[in-house]
Amino acid sequence: MTFETAFSSRGIVGAVAASALLLASATAAAQAGKDLYAKTCAVCHAAGVAGAPRLGNAADWQPRIAGGTARLYASALQGTPKGMPAKGGNTAASDAEVRAAVDFMLASVKGAAPAAAKPAAAAPAAASAATPAAPKSAATVAAPAVTAPAPAAPAMAPQLAAVDTSANTTGGSAADINSFNRLLKPAGKRNPPPAEDGIHDPSNDGTHALMAPLAAYATLPKSNAGNRVDWVKSLNEGKINPRWDRANPNDVPVVIDLNIVREVKGSMPDVVYPHKQHTEWLDCSNCHPAIFNPQKGSNVISMAAILLGEKCGVCHGKVAFPVSECRLCHSKKKDFRPAQAATTAK
Amino acid sequence: MSGKSFWRPLLLALLALSAVLVVDIDEARAEYGDVVINNYSDAAGMRPAIFPHWFHRVRFRCKVCHSDLGFKFKAGGNDINMVKIIDGQFCGACHNGDIAWSVENCNLCHTGKPGTPTQVHESTVQKLAPVAQQKK
Repeated sequence: MTFETAFSSRGIVGAVAASALLLASATAAAQAGKDLYAKTCAVCHAAGVAGAPRLGNAADWQPRIAGGTARLYASALQGTPKGMPAKGGNTAASDAEVRAAVDFMLASVKGAAPAAAKPAAAAPAAASAATPAAPKSAATVAAPAVTAPAPAAPAMAPQLAAVDTSANTTGGSAADINSFNRLLKPAGKRNPPPAEDGIHDPSNDGTHALMAPLAAYATLPKSNAGNRVDWVKSLNEGKINPRWDRANPNDVPVVIDLNIVREVKGSMPDVVYPHKQHTEWLDCSNCHPAIFNPQKGSNVISMAAILLGEKCGVCHGKVAFPVSECRLCHSKKKDFRPAQAATTAK
Repeated sequence: MSGKSFWRPLLLALLALSAVLVVDIDEARAEYGDVVINNYSDAAGMRPAIFPHWFHRVRFRCKVCHSDLGFKFKAGGNDINMVKIIDGQFCGACHNGDIAWSVENCNLCHTGKPGTPTQVHESTVQKLAPVAQQKK
């Protein structure tokens, strides 16, 4: 090997090592940002306390992003007169960590940024035109105003106003009627804080004291449905440590590792029911014998029953992962070859 | 004649109320598994209670409430009232100022919009049921 080739190969190795180092430091910074967010920033930026822009809410961030990332860094480091303390009040955090936390929050609205302009543009139009925004809400507004007895009217008015504004923000306005997947919940509207979720009363002071789901979920593994949190993984990875006993934090469950395979009709993969994941959360008496007869083959289960909230549907489709996640249960592929062999033998 | 004039406003008021309820469910987008309990609240002039499943499952396994404390797997099916809670049953087993904050914090549970029906929010049953009811 000549000196020249040795030098150049060492140069390549050096370049690869340097880029690997850069990549590693970038992911480390991202993790540091996420950690600082969970520890400090989430206190306000999850629920939007004192007008703080919320994580994942593009409309909140849009005007701030327009001012440039440098200004956002400066606001985060030095604080703002609006109520943001310097470094979010966590003076122990380094400047780099604070910047990484800003990057983490910006990344949460990156995908949704262009869509955010739409509701903002629709809002003034809806405000000036009052009701014609959504035909459905217009009809309901008209009905009680004309027909409801006088004492009931004041009680209903604020409720309808709240419905109207939420219709605008969920994309229910006339402008969005032909929008893509209009019945699906857009990413920015998932896991809203209690005051904006449509069932909590924002005029109740206690509502604002409640924790916002995203504040709890920041560090938990994600899933594609339900709470958008993989609860089983969260438990297995020790991200959460829910008590097995009401008062004793050291009590541990009796976990049974027993898989039950249920053969199903048609081409759907067979169902593998794992006792393990269920006994980590539940007691035997929760399911046996009221919901499931503890004898293999003696339970009649159908998807129709599950959809109506029976059998597996007692939990799945209410709190445990919903029925949209077919493959989490239907997970054992069928072997079609023996059946084919049987038919050819005939 | 007088009978007719009595029924008409009542019917219209009922229609209006049901319209409000349907709209509320459609527009609500709360957390998966949030349980609204409105067995007695509306009649008593309180906001309905909302139980956040997600918050509790971070802290307790299902078994603690659904086996030890006897909560049935049915929204509104447990006939809970404040006397039972104060006596240490159901929510009162923990919400006693010892394990969790106690019963004087009315506004932390009774946080629902008035008139919100008992439901498991975002449940399959809830998503399917309104469609089935409309077809009747």
